[in-house]
Amino acid sequence: MDFAFSDDDETLRANVKAFIQEHVNDDVVREFREFREGQPRGPHLTAVYEKLRVRGWAAISWPKKYGGQGGTRIAQYLVEEEFLREAGGLRVAGGGTGAPAILASGTEAQKDAYIPGSIASQVVFCQGYSEPHCGTDLAGVRCRAMRQGDKYVINGQKIFTTNAQNASHIFLLARTDPESRRQAGLSVLLVPMNTPGITVRALWTVQSDPPAPVNTTYGEIRTNEVFFDNVEVPASCLLGEEGDGWSVAQRGLNLDRVGAWRYLISVHLDEDVVNYLKEGGEATAHLRDDAAVRNTIADLWTEGQMCRLMTMRSISIDHSGKPFVYEGAAEKVTGPEHGVRATEAISQILGPHAQLLSSSRYTLEKGVFAHNLLGAFQSAVNHGSVQVMRDQVARKALNMPRSGIKTARKTTQQDEKPS
Amino acid sequence: MNVLLDDDEELIKSSAGEFLLAEATPEVVRAAEIDPLRYAKALWDKFAGLGWLGISLPEAYGGQGLPLSYTGLVFEELGRHIAPLPVHATLVPALVIAKHASESQKQALLPSVIDGSLMLSWALQEQGGRWATDAVHMQGRMEGDHVVLNGTKHFVDNFGNADKCLVVFRMGSAGNSSLRAILVDTHSQGIQAEELVPTSKDREDLVRFENVRVPKENLVGQNMAVISDLMDYAAAFYTCLMEGAARRAMEVSVAYVNEREAFGQSIGAFQAIQHMAADMLNGVDGTQLLMREAIWHMSQGLPARVEVAQAKSFGNVKCMMVARCCQQLHGGIGFILDTDINLWYRRVASWSMRAGTTYEHRQLIASSLLDMPGKVRLGMLQTVHESTLA
Repeated sequence: MDFAFSDDDETLRANVKAFIQEHVNDDVVREFREFREGQPRGPHLTAVYEKLRVRGWAAISWPKKYGGQGGTRIAQYLVEEEFLREAGGLRVAGGGTGAPAILASGTEAQKDAYIPGSIASQVVFCQGYSEPHCGTDLAGVRCRAMRQGDKYVINGQKIFTTNAQNASHIFLLARTDPESRRQAGLSVLLVPMNTPGITVRALWTVQSDPPAPVNTTYGEIRTNEVFFDNVEVPASCLLGEEGDGWSVAQRGLNLDRVGAWRYLISVHLDEDVVNYLKEGGEATAHLRDDAAVRNTIADLWTEGQMCRLMTMRSISIDHSGKPFVYEGAAEKVTGPEHGVRATEAISQILGPHAQLLSSSRYTLEKGVFAHNLLGAFQSAVNHGSVQVMRDQVARKALNMPRSGIKTARKTTQQDEKPS
Repeated sequence: MNVLLDDDEELIKSSAGEFLLAEATPEVVRAAEIDPLRYAKALWDKFAGLGWLGISLPEAYGGQGLPLSYTGLVFEELGRHIAPLPVHATLVPALVIAKHASESQKQALLPSVIDGSLMLSWALQEQGGRWATDAVHMQGRMEGDHVVLNGTKHFVDNFGNADKCLVVFRMGSAGNSSLRAILVDTHSQGIQAEELVPTSKDREDLVRFENVRVPKENLVGQNMAVISDLMDYAAAFYTCLMEGAARRAMEVSVAYVNEREAFGQSIGAFQAIQHMAADMLNGVDGTQLLMREAIWHMSQGLPARVEVAQAKSFGNVKCMMVARCCQQLHGGIGFILDTDINLWYRRVASWSMRAGTTYEHRQLIASSLLDMPGKVRLGMLQTVHESTLA
């Protein structure tokens, strides 16, 4: 065991910090937020992404062959963490859906076609998983992709397709065999968003009105519905084997549920509230000295540390080339539930001022605590609800039987490690 | 950064585990509870004979000189199998001695600790039961070449079996600077021990000191660091014991619900049970990560006070939750004395109250966050004012 980052890693962290100080100014952050909200990418943001690409920080852990640095997953984590913390939440390529799954399951041609573009932030995937009637029970996907000669024809609807307004492609889970049920007969298609027949409609989230302040921990103010009406794509858009979409998608999901972003959205507010109490002078002195507040702060902080260590466990597993068994699902329970617990406890510590939204007078920290409260519980739902994640922990780690079905116990399942 | 165990660490952990699984059976655990010694003498001799006591003690005295983190792994296994052995009571002061005592003290003591012939004990808490240095009132005064001790120590692990006890006392006025630790022969004149009956049913004593004369050469170290290390080792290794015990109890209970049938199916198939089990696993995993980080810090010579407080406060809450859920999963048979699961529950309960309660450890964490200058960040090096420790 080793609970410290190496000297090389710390040097990298310092270099990234210095880069952010020098190059990430208010214009960059503003353009990033405008981009997230559906505007084209601004010149300052484009320039920063180009500098990142030149330094090789956009995809440190990806293979050199496709424009990455062949570096460690830990280095990737450090770069992502510093940008999320110190650069107004700016995302750098390297995690998320799409590219990791393509690296794991794609053909050479697909890797050549998508990975360098992902590094340059020109190829951006949104996730086409959930549908109106099935989010948690993903095996019930109905969106159809029918093979006709050398193309697929797609009809159906996806929902909670965050970032669809900016994405160049959708990572689409669709039913390619109309006779199939459940997991069998699903396939993953990489579909360009500019294909005729695709319509994107905005869904605004509960913390988006009035707009959330910049340092809101839970900042996803918009998601989408995506409609497919006789959308035709070439058969070469298929990722992996036809009918193998369930496992192709699963390989991408583990890395989506863990990592710097998942951990930081859940713990950032522990740091925020401590720093707020410390820097508040006389105004927060009565809280700093209150035994119940101190006990609660220590409790939340310790739980935040536990979340940090579970993230370290995930990057250790990834770094060691070992398979994830249940750890991603476990982290997807503890992180979001900590976030909810912390936002609610912080509300009770700070009192009625913490209910005031960004457009109100007399807000605390421009309303960040109120907007966090509206956002925190979403993270217990998205990317697999905490209930489904608990099912997975029980079955994969503890070998418990599938609920409602009287069968012999399954052997422990282990996800395959993406190569 | 790699929080997983490497091959050497896995080997130590699995070897200790295999030995204890075979030797520290529930029958042995039950027999020790009613043995007047409250521990399994034959198992102690075997355990010491295999060299387990010395793995983190220096090679110069017959130990293996491995980092403290290895001893932490052995404590995890001692906890898993709730081994009825006073290893914690002996190794906590032994590790303090290895770090702070004089060369002649080490030569006189450590070889016999390692071969199992010298059992130790340590005494800090007093009447109020508080885990804090400012709750130490026992007075020592110099008389020629002797320190004369007067006072009462509560919750002294293994005193009744130990040959020597590392006693924390005060030489003069209040404050950290007057704190001292001295190694006392447990058979000295003026000592009266009274056995307590904790839920764990191991040996714990209330010890009265009336004009007990101890040669001044028995003082260990000269400063507060001795007391800090004693407290850190005690709390960290109790967390290991709790985590190991809670994890094994969870495994036993999950195996039980997977077999037990009701409503025409195994009750382990019910989501209400599965979600409880998932929370139990996250509770022990979280405790394990926090305590391994704390002990790794100690083995690297880094500050670890806050990390230890995090691990013990979190472990107290989560391991009790796990142990209680294990009782719940067993249903009615679980609270029958003859069912083994209560052996684990009773020990986790006792350990959760020793070496610092949840609230006591959280006070220290809060102080490091709110009373020290500068912004906080998770993962930063955490420190506390020395004055906060009093």
